Amino acid sequence: MLLKSPITTVFLVVGLLLSILIFYNSYSVNYRIPGNNEGYEPVQPIAYSHRLHAGELGIPCLSCHFGAEKSRNAGVPSASVCMNCHKFVTALFANVRAEDELAEKEKRKPQRIISSELKKIYSSLALNDELLPNPSLKQTPIEWKKVYNVPDFVYFDHRPHVNAGVQCQTCHGAVETMERIRQVGNLSMGWCVNCHRDVNKNGVNNKKVYASTDCTTCHY
Amino acid sequence: MSEYHNVKFEREQETIPHRGIDRRDFLKLSGFTFAGALLGGCQAPKVDKAIPFLVKPEEITPGLSTFYATTCGGCNASCGIITKNRDGRPIKIEGNPSHPISQGGLCAVGQAHLLGLYDSHRLKNPTMLGKETVWNDIDSAIKNTLKEIQTNNGAVRFLSNTISSPTQRNTIAKFLSGFSNAQHIEYDALSVSAILDAHEKTHGTRVLPHYRFDKTEVIVSVDADFLGTWISPVEFTKDYHKGKILNGNNSKFSFHAQIEANVSLTGSNADKRISISPNAYKNFLYDLTTTIEGGKSSIAEVNELARKLLSAKGKSLVVCGVNDIELQLLSNYINHLLSNYGNTIDIETPSKQYRGNDTELQKLISEITEGKISALFIYNGNPLFDIPEGNALKKHIEAIPLSISFSERSDETSSATTFICPEHHSLESWNENEVRAGIYSLSQPVLQPLRNTRSLIESLNAWMDTPKTAYDAIRDEWKNSVFTMQKKENDFQKFWDKCVHDGFAEVESGKNTVQEFSKQSLQNISRSSETTAMALILYPKISIREGKHAHNPWLQELPDPITKIVWDNYVSLSKKTAEHLSVKENDVVEITAQISNERRTLKLPTHIQQGMCDNVVAVALGYGRKGTERFTNIGPEWFEAKPTVNQGELVGKNAAVFLQFVNGSISYNLLQCSVSKTKEQYRLAATQEYHSLQMPEHLVPAGSERRPIIQETTFGAYIQDNSAGSFSKHEYESIWPEEHQYNNHHWGMAIDLTKCTGCSGCVIGCQSENNIPCVGKDEIARNREMTWIRIDRYFQEEENTFSVAFQPMMCHHCNNAPCETVCPVLATVHNEEGLNQQIYNRCVGTRYCSNNCPYKVRRFNWFDYEHGDEMQKLVLNPDVVVRERGVMEKCSFCIQRIQEAKIIAKSNGVALKDGDIQPACQQSCPANAIVFGDMNDKNSELSKRMNDKRYYKVLEEVGTRPAVGYMTLVRNSDEVNNV
Amino acid sequence: MSEVYSILREPLIGGNKTYNDVTNDVCSPLERKPTIAWWFAFTISFTMLIAGVISVTYLLTTGIGTWGLNNTIGWAFDITNFVFWIGIGHAGTLISAILFLFRQKWRTSVNRSAEAMTIFAVICAGIFPIIHMGRPWLAFFVIPYPNERGPLWVNFRSPLVWDMFAISTYFTISFVFWYVGLIPDLATIRDRAQSHFKRKIFGFLSFGWNGSNRTWSHYEKIYLLLAGLATPLVVSVHTIVSWDFATSVIPGWHTTIFPPYFVAGAVFSGFAMVLTLMLIVRKVLRFEEYITLHHVESMCKIIIATGGIVSMAYGTEYFIALYSGNEYEKFTFINRALGPYSWSYWIMVSCNVISPQLFWFRKIRRNVALVFLISIFINIGMWFERFVIITTSLTRDYLPASWDSYSPTSIEIATLVGSFGLFLTLFLLFARFLPMIAIGEVKGVLSYGRKNNGEHL
Repeated sequence: MLLKSPITTVFLVVGLLLSILIFYNSYSVNYRIPGNNEGYEPVQPIAYSHRLHAGELGIPCLSCHFGAEKSRNAGVPSASVCMNCHKFVTALFANVRAEDELAEKEKRKPQRIISSELKKIYSSLALNDELLPNPSLKQTPIEWKKVYNVPDFVYFDHRPHVNAGVQCQTCHGAVETMERIRQVGNLSMGWCVNCHRDVNKNGVNNKKVYASTDCTTCHY
Repeated sequence: MSEYHNVKFEREQETIPHRGIDRRDFLKLSGFTFAGALLGGCQAPKVDKAIPFLVKPEEITPGLSTFYATTCGGCNASCGIITKNRDGRPIKIEGNPSHPISQGGLCAVGQAHLLGLYDSHRLKNPTMLGKETVWNDIDSAIKNTLKEIQTNNGAVRFLSNTISSPTQRNTIAKFLSGFSNAQHIEYDALSVSAILDAHEKTHGTRVLPHYRFDKTEVIVSVDADFLGTWISPVEFTKDYHKGKILNGNNSKFSFHAQIEANVSLTGSNADKRISISPNAYKNFLYDLTTTIEGGKSSIAEVNELARKLLSAKGKSLVVCGVNDIELQLLSNYINHLLSNYGNTIDIETPSKQYRGNDTELQKLISEITEGKISALFIYNGNPLFDIPEGNALKKHIEAIPLSISFSERSDETSSATTFICPEHHSLESWNENEVRAGIYSLSQPVLQPLRNTRSLIESLNAWMDTPKTAYDAIRDEWKNSVFTMQKKENDFQKFWDKCVHDGFAEVESGKNTVQEFSKQSLQNISRSSETTAMALILYPKISIREGKHAHNPWLQELPDPITKIVWDNYVSLSKKTAEHLSVKENDVVEITAQISNERRTLKLPTHIQQGMCDNVVAVALGYGRKGTERFTNIGPEWFEAKPTVNQGELVGKNAAVFLQFVNGSISYNLLQCSVSKTKEQYRLAATQEYHSLQMPEHLVPAGSERRPIIQETTFGAYIQDNSAGSFSKHEYESIWPEEHQYNNHHWGMAIDLTKCTGCSGCVIGCQSENNIPCVGKDEIARNREMTWIRIDRYFQEEENTFSVAFQPMMCHHCNNAPCETVCPVLATVHNEEGLNQQIYNRCVGTRYCSNNCPYKVRRFNWFDYEHGDEMQKLVLNPDVVVRERGVMEKCSFCIQRIQEAKIIAKSNGVALKDGDIQPACQQSCPANAIVFGDMNDKNSELSKRMNDKRYYKVLEEVGTRPAVGYMTLVRNSDEVNNV
Repeated sequence: MSEVYSILREPLIGGNKTYNDVTNDVCSPLERKPTIAWWFAFTISFTMLIAGVISVTYLLTTGIGTWGLNNTIGWAFDITNFVFWIGIGHAGTLISAILFLFRQKWRTSVNRSAEAMTIFAVICAGIFPIIHMGRPWLAFFVIPYPNERGPLWVNFRSPLVWDMFAISTYFTISFVFWYVGLIPDLATIRDRAQSHFKRKIFGFLSFGWNGSNRTWSHYEKIYLLLAGLATPLVVSVHTIVSWDFATSVIPGWHTTIFPPYFVAGAVFSGFAMVLTLMLIVRKVLRFEEYITLHHVESMCKIIIATGGIVSMAYGTEYFIALYSGNEYEKFTFINRALGPYSWSYWIMVSCNVISPQLFWFRKIRRNVALVFLISIFINIGMWFERFVIITTSLTRDYLPASWDSYSPTSIEIATLVGSFGLFLTLFLLFARFLPMIAIGEVKGVLSYGRKNNGEHL
């Protein structure tokens, strides 16, 4: 009987391992049922660190993602928002300090240090090294990879959540500890609905709230 | 038996050894299969890009809508509109509630002309001799030719539709002043020139009066479709209903008699409709005049009308829609006799919406044909398509040395001109309209021009070498004139900002000087001899009008309120006439007429129209427009599908061939024509197959001849008893548990059938708000229209009376919804605010819900429908899902608006106010027929209506307990004078 | 040996068969090459099947729009076919289960093929509820399974969900029942098989059946139990199907008498279909001695009975409609008989009410040709019954403005043809590869109505 022979078994096992290998390379996340991207952590065009900004520097989320308060979308901040600070901050403080000391020694004007990542913002805004508009360059938008992505038939609205006092971390996890943004929670319908059910009982930080579980809360 | 046993013993040894696969093999196999399946199921996350602004414009927040007040460019009425912008592009047009003209209403055309903005067939660039070019080249070319013309004093003519923008008028005047022989001629495809001419004769001022329907108690309209297409329908509808207020004992209800041959929207709303042939219009008015003067007519109806008019002196109004000076003079005279001038007719602050002059047009035509013109400018108008002999002008215009069209597309006219300098779409440009003396409506661009177009003002200024942007020109104009006409504000910037914000300015304009009424122009008007000849009426449809928007699929697919036919024009005629010609519905007939001693013919399918006058045929204008051949492939493609228009053909046929000048104005009624049957057949597509509430005779169960769907009564009866006409109420013990508690809101709707005119504005409003696709003629013919709100239209024909009733029908959001119980997958369920939710992504499409819906308001996605080309997709509302194939959909009470309003209220920590939420259908309803609101709020407008004695629910006896109710249709048909 | 036939009881199996003859007669068709007739029939039905496959593929790729349905008429051919096929199935279950419990010995010669027919009919029926969905690839939403949606269950109030349960149960039970009945005969074929291959296959299929008394008694027990299990299904399945309509609010659907009415109709149509098939089978496979005129006659009698109930139901519907005083109800029924679709109504009446009455005459009951003809009529009539109920009720319901008409597209017709193709193809394959008559059971009733050795009765 063919099936009885160990060769078949070996063959099948090898096949399975191979295919796992093949599949694995083509994926950046572990296997799970379709549509569930929990743990999705794509490499972004600019190695922006939430740990640094939100964590160490303690910049509140809303100062960049101001949309969350007044609009459906929290919004990825525009480059101009970055420039509010990075007009002046062009590199890690340590590096700048180092350059200054070096200049001290070499008795020369310290030159501007621009970190490679920030350079990307400047170039996208078509700025030269003096951070002045450079007409010869063309502005190129930054294409961030969307991490928290709900299907088209779901209408999620940040406003009621933020205004109800739900912490950003409740859904987005401890962003302030993440170098790169990772999807926390599987964004399944159950994930949303169960939280809605829960807050109706327990409220949001001891404030009584009402979160509807009607279908049309999200689907229309 | 023995045999059997032997067999067994022989075989036993062979049968025992194990076979094929045993348990372990099986498990092994299934193990691997499972693992394989698992791998197959896994998938990489879909990578989506989030691309933020580099530098964010400060007024734009992604996901938030911005609103701009501007003016509608749909027609000359110039209603005030508000555009809803999302991510920098307009996605919805609505009425501007504070606008003095339209007062918040907006018609179907106005709402639909948004789609025209995204029309990929608009010109991308200016063209020279059919070739695209750049502005500099075209400007220099034009300027050179203009110089030559200046030097050898060539005749320059500027032909346009009515231009009510002072800035544009002045610019044109300034431009023409540079030429020795120049003239600006205005005309209108739907001309009311005769009205202006008549007033010139009778009152010495050539103006279009401002008709005050809000002040009238008795209206007699001779073929004037003022609720549908005549002059300013939205304004008139608003005013009309100010005269029809049903409020228990302090009601006032004007009496409206309509004299017409075809069934118009206005006629179908009239309290009394007198159906006579256009041949008899003049005599009717003549008799009315003599009777009012004190004579007596042989026709009882005339005497009756005269009596009523006289009884309401100064509060009555006679309007005549026939573009014939004699009839207009007569009606002026009648209004004069009734001392309506200064009361219900205002010519001191007249309307500026139409000022076309047919006599000058006629003169121009002869000039053109005689080849006297050396430069012709044609601005928003399509004369080759819509004026008498238009088509014959083609070769003459091509012969003109310099012919320039400002058309935004290549149409009949612009394709004959040398240059096309495309004008912006009205939503892309600065403009203003002096709608009425002292009322200026402002247009601001709500997005960057999508095409390389240029506004008229800028073009003309460029050619005068005084370059100036339209913005500056208009701003200066306002600074120098409009601003000076008002006292309230003395800082211009403030004034300007306010106007831009409001979208209009109301100022004190000087009164128009009017002479005393002079009668002598009426001397030589006499009764014409009665003829019984077949007459032809050329009328504008609600949706297509003169054809300006024929390229707009929303309007092409909007069912005509009366005939319910889409995508075609046709020959309407009465049952009798049909029998006489022995034609049936869809038979193609040929109309023949002698016009300027030349035989004209037109072949069109027949539509048999109840209530029409015998010996009259009616054909809609505006069809057969160049460019409509593109609709061949609109709608789903499958092997049994028929094209909306046959390959290379146009939508409908152009009836303008029958236009002609009579007494110096364009005549839309042809008093002499012949109709003959042909062998051909042509299938018209209508959205309604059965037209009456009366059951077919041979199927009538005794005692239920008429379906109790529409409550109807007369004003007289209503005064006696406010609940007159009500059906017997059905109170049933519900076997259902009261499972739905509405603790917060309970949304509902009330529709006043007395107010609803059937204008179908709500249908387009819904289509544009809820991303409803156009499905094409064939699908409509298969009764698969997708519109969420439809307007049921019922004819009622007794021996000598004919009446029409309209009933908007959308999802009733029943408390005991039959659809909810039968859906196997919970795709349609009730929510805690009484809405019947339809969840597209859960729906598997069994259509069980639709079968079980007594109102048949559910719509199924039979195919994957195209939402126009890439350009037109920009009009889609990002707040509403575009439904996929195989999914059921229906009216959601504009849930996206409800949610938005609730969220905003919540964010601001305030409670929702009544009126914060207005569904698309309610928002733009010119008649305020629809009211949406919270049934739990006892003071809401809705609750008020629900407590009204006229309030009732359709099919209450089925026990669905709908959230949508209707108000009894009241007609003043027993002609009670106001109490 | 000398035979004496009873003058009172006509033997169930004619032609003085021995056990050996029975085995040979039943197995021979499976052992000889297929006849021209079989190939001919098979080609035709397979072509029909292909037509069906093509049309369904087109439907699935293009959309429900390829059917003649519209906003007013959401169901027509699809659900009509579904109810029709489910109905067909019922005769099989009735014969195999109920008649078995009632010890109706004559069932033995027809039950095997009747059960087979049931299974094939249910397969045909089961296809329609799935393909009639707008998004059939999501059909699994109808099954309650734990999920990530909160969780989100199905609507247990919806008759369509009940249908899902009913049909799946029905198919499972019928199939097991049929297969269990097959096992001894499969063994017989195995034992007679010449080729090694065939022996392997049938060996596997017959689960190592050894005709020992122990096996037989197990077999008898399980058979009895399954019969008991299957019996309620005869009533339940079509009752539930009828609720699809009875629980709605549409006049013409919303009728309390539907359950008995539908069940009777089902059995009625089922027996008609059994007759249609059996009469061909007995002719082609020369089973005249097994499926005797006596069998034919008994089935005709059942048809009269059930046909009577159906006619009664038609009458009742009208009476209630007119008596109820509900104007919509009244109109619907007047409209059925005199409206635009009256033709379908009168086809239904003439086929289902009038034609069966001929079975009152013994001569006709025993005239194979006539019985065959009438059975065909009844099949047609019963299909139209469903069409009348489903479609014509929808065409004109409450609001005159939404009244509309319906006509099928080529796709719909092809799909109907296809379902017949599937049914016949399966049946022909069955006739080719499996014993059409329960050998064991027939042997059991071989002695009925006759005695050996000339003993006096």
